[in-house]
Amino acid sequence: MHRPATDFPAFDTDWLDGLAEGCRGLRGSHPRFEDLYLERRLEIRVAPDASIDTVRLEGGAARWRFPSRWAMHAGSGISSAAVAELVSHYADRLKAPPRRRTRDGELNPPPGWIESAISLAGRGVDVRFFKRWAVVIRRDGWREVSTPALIRVEQAAPASGALLAVSGHPSLAEWVRSLLDPPPAKTWNPPSGTACPVIFTDGSSGVLLHELVGHMVEGDLVASGRSPLAGLGGANLSEAEIDLVDDPRRADLPGAFDTDDEGVRSGPITLLRSGRLCGVLCDRETAETCGVPAGRGRRTDWRLPPIPRLSNLVVPPGTGSPQDLEADLKRGLVVTRLAGATVDPVSSRAVLRVERGHEIRNGRRRRPLGPFELTGGVIEILAGIDPTVGDDPTPDWRLGWCLKDGLPLPTGSEAPTMLVHRLEVL
Amino acid sequence: MPSGSNTDGLVARLQEVSDRCACLLDSSTAVRWEVFAKTSVTRQTEVLQGRLKRSVQIAESGVGVRSWDGSRAGFAAASALEPSSARDAVDAARAGARPGADPMPPARVMGTVPVKPGPAMPPRGWAQHIAGELGLALAGLSGSVLRLERAVVQEGRYRWTLSTGDGWSADHERMVASLLLEILVGDRPGIWREWVHISDPGSFDAEAIASRLGNRILLTRNRVTTDSGLHDLILHPEVTAQLLAAVSPLFLATDDARDPLPHLLDSNGFLAAFPLTLVDERSDPTAPVVSPCDGEGLPAKRTLLLDEGAPRHRVASWADARRFDEIPRGGAVRLSYRDRPSTGLTNLRVVTRDGMPPGELLTASRRALYVLRPLAPVVCDFERDTYSLIASGVWLRRQQVRGWHPVVELSGSLGTLLRRIAAVGEDLCWFQTAHGFVGAPSLLIRRQPVVG
Repeated sequence: MHRPATDFPAFDTDWLDGLAEGCRGLRGSHPRFEDLYLERRLEIRVAPDASIDTVRLEGGAARWRFPSRWAMHAGSGISSAAVAELVSHYADRLKAPPRRRTRDGELNPPPGWIESAISLAGRGVDVRFFKRWAVVIRRDGWREVSTPALIRVEQAAPASGALLAVSGHPSLAEWVRSLLDPPPAKTWNPPSGTACPVIFTDGSSGVLLHELVGHMVEGDLVASGRSPLAGLGGANLSEAEIDLVDDPRRADLPGAFDTDDEGVRSGPITLLRSGRLCGVLCDRETAETCGVPAGRGRRTDWRLPPIPRLSNLVVPPGTGSPQDLEADLKRGLVVTRLAGATVDPVSSRAVLRVERGHEIRNGRRRRPLGPFELTGGVIEILAGIDPTVGDDPTPDWRLGWCLKDGLPLPTGSEAPTMLVHRLEVL
Repeated sequence: MPSGSNTDGLVARLQEVSDRCACLLDSSTAVRWEVFAKTSVTRQTEVLQGRLKRSVQIAESGVGVRSWDGSRAGFAAASALEPSSARDAVDAARAGARPGADPMPPARVMGTVPVKPGPAMPPRGWAQHIAGELGLALAGLSGSVLRLERAVVQEGRYRWTLSTGDGWSADHERMVASLLLEILVGDRPGIWREWVHISDPGSFDAEAIASRLGNRILLTRNRVTTDSGLHDLILHPEVTAQLLAAVSPLFLATDDARDPLPHLLDSNGFLAAFPLTLVDERSDPTAPVVSPCDGEGLPAKRTLLLDEGAPRHRVASWADARRFDEIPRGGAVRLSYRDRPSTGLTNLRVVTRDGMPPGELLTASRRALYVLRPLAPVVCDFERDTYSLIASGVWLRRQQVRGWHPVVELSGSLGTLLRRIAAVGEDLCWFQTAHGFVGAPSLLIRRQPVVG
């Protein structure tokens, strides 16, 4: 591993070189030194009353590998003494060189951000800025983990919408407008128990695939057999010949990173190729079990060990026209905004929470839909995706923080319009 | 703090950082200020298939500062207990200050109440031991149908100090423990997850926990049966907890123009039926969060939220109480040093003084849906008086289980649902929800719409 070519203001690079040198020579009694993760984080919240909360967090974690288990010690602070303390649990005391304080001016939001956030918050929303700077130090050197700064806009109760996007994204203003767009005054809910075809458009198909495929191919679930897709590697899951790629290099989507939180250079991983299941998302630990490359070990923050998590799910555009997909539907539903979805680990059934959409009759949009739920089995829903996929790849700004075991991480998706032949209204 | 950590050193550093912040604030233009410093050490032990898989020890500390200079108020926080943390927090609070009134309570209303000392930290190796005991108990209870796949035991100790520029200060130290279990059910794919709050590791009873969890999980082994229509419901404590969490915003102070509560009351002013009484309490030693004062230093109190179905009081932080004309009852929560105190519930609990034994509750209806576990967050629309609860459950008929209903939706009028509560159980358990900790028992609710 090498130091980055670019300037890296969050850490003193000479200090990191010194730490890496020290870690190379670490000698423990039983366990093997795995890695040392250091993180600085800036979180700013601007509330509707224009109050500003600024939180600066620093911490680190040292991991060790025993023959049959792992151990991690994490602590607040990244002073030389704090880092030496972290590493000292299983090894000789690390000779950490003194750390120079870096130019903290660099660790601030972009100029003018606070003013624009105050102006936006005046419309009754919470506006948050997140930026993290992290490095992973291993025996062979250190590597910067580069992630984009993020913006989250949250509506105050009783509205419950939120968006998460990369700071400075060209579509941010348009997405904020959509978020604040009031729901239709008069809505209709399809009767419970109705089974009908459903079109997912405006990026909502990305949320669908995030839950049905993305989470289900995370290495820990696959390795333990807890995923409904475990053991189906190579199987044709969908009639549609879609490709599905987990791509952390898409810097315009919130789940972007160039190196994962275990120091593995990360590239795209194809999960579905022509509808066939072909990929698993693994951290270093599960990669050994699953026999695939690592690169998706992600940490919520320095306090928690990395676990396999997805980044940005991307479906390349098809050749179909979204308008034709709707026009060809005699009776059904079109979903334009999904609030989220859950898969019950006991029954493998998915529950999709629809936020906005329309009824379709004779190929035309009719009554707007109120919030309701759709359900179906994971495998059945995937098998029911129509081979015609839209030519309109659209990022979804509603996906935001993805929760796994209660641990949030930013993720993204971009997917074109898709038709699922049968879903049941709850 | 757990053995192996330098308790005296951490406590001394906690005090040093508080003093350092105080010094910086006293020499600034701040008229009033408050410093909250916290340190915690947590051990997390993961046992997979009976073998230790991962151990994690986390030492976290930091400081949060609120200041007011006569016309501008600010808040900021920084991690670690180093001189630079104090300076970062104080500088950022002052730099980010915005025009506003003094948000902090005056010294005259601040104070603490005595709380029962918490239990001691369990010895090293306890986590692995109880995971083994639970695995054996679950297998023994179910004839090996239930297998404990993974257990994550979390045990920790925290200490905080809160001090103000008026010379008031308080501190508190406590142990917390909880358990996450993943259980395999026969040869069925998928797992069953359970979270268990442990109020006292010294009295942890693996057999009793296994029996409580196992009885519920085994019910889902029945054949699938679905039904719709108006039916009696029996909510498992976990489902009750999610429902109460969803309605909990009704008990937070808000302005009268936006208050949804009046829309939900019946003509006699009742929100719920007679058996339901709700309180928020910080000094209950069995609850997950125990504290001598609220998040900004008002003495801990038991706040009666719902008295036999009738709304009584709402909780509010000091600033919100003034804003919304409420009597301040110590309703500020402070989730960590990173968060400014805000209005919230700490331990929302159902009073189960007159609760029925769960066995009686289950036989109190000829035909009922026993709603076992929520599958998605409960959604309430207070304006429209609606709720939607997606869950799985089992059908009971003449005290016999007739079948498992894997996904069922319960929806309708929230007010009607709450006013048809016929009985509460005495089987109160604590759960972690998106709206804080909720202590909930089983509930019997008459004639509700069920969609299969």
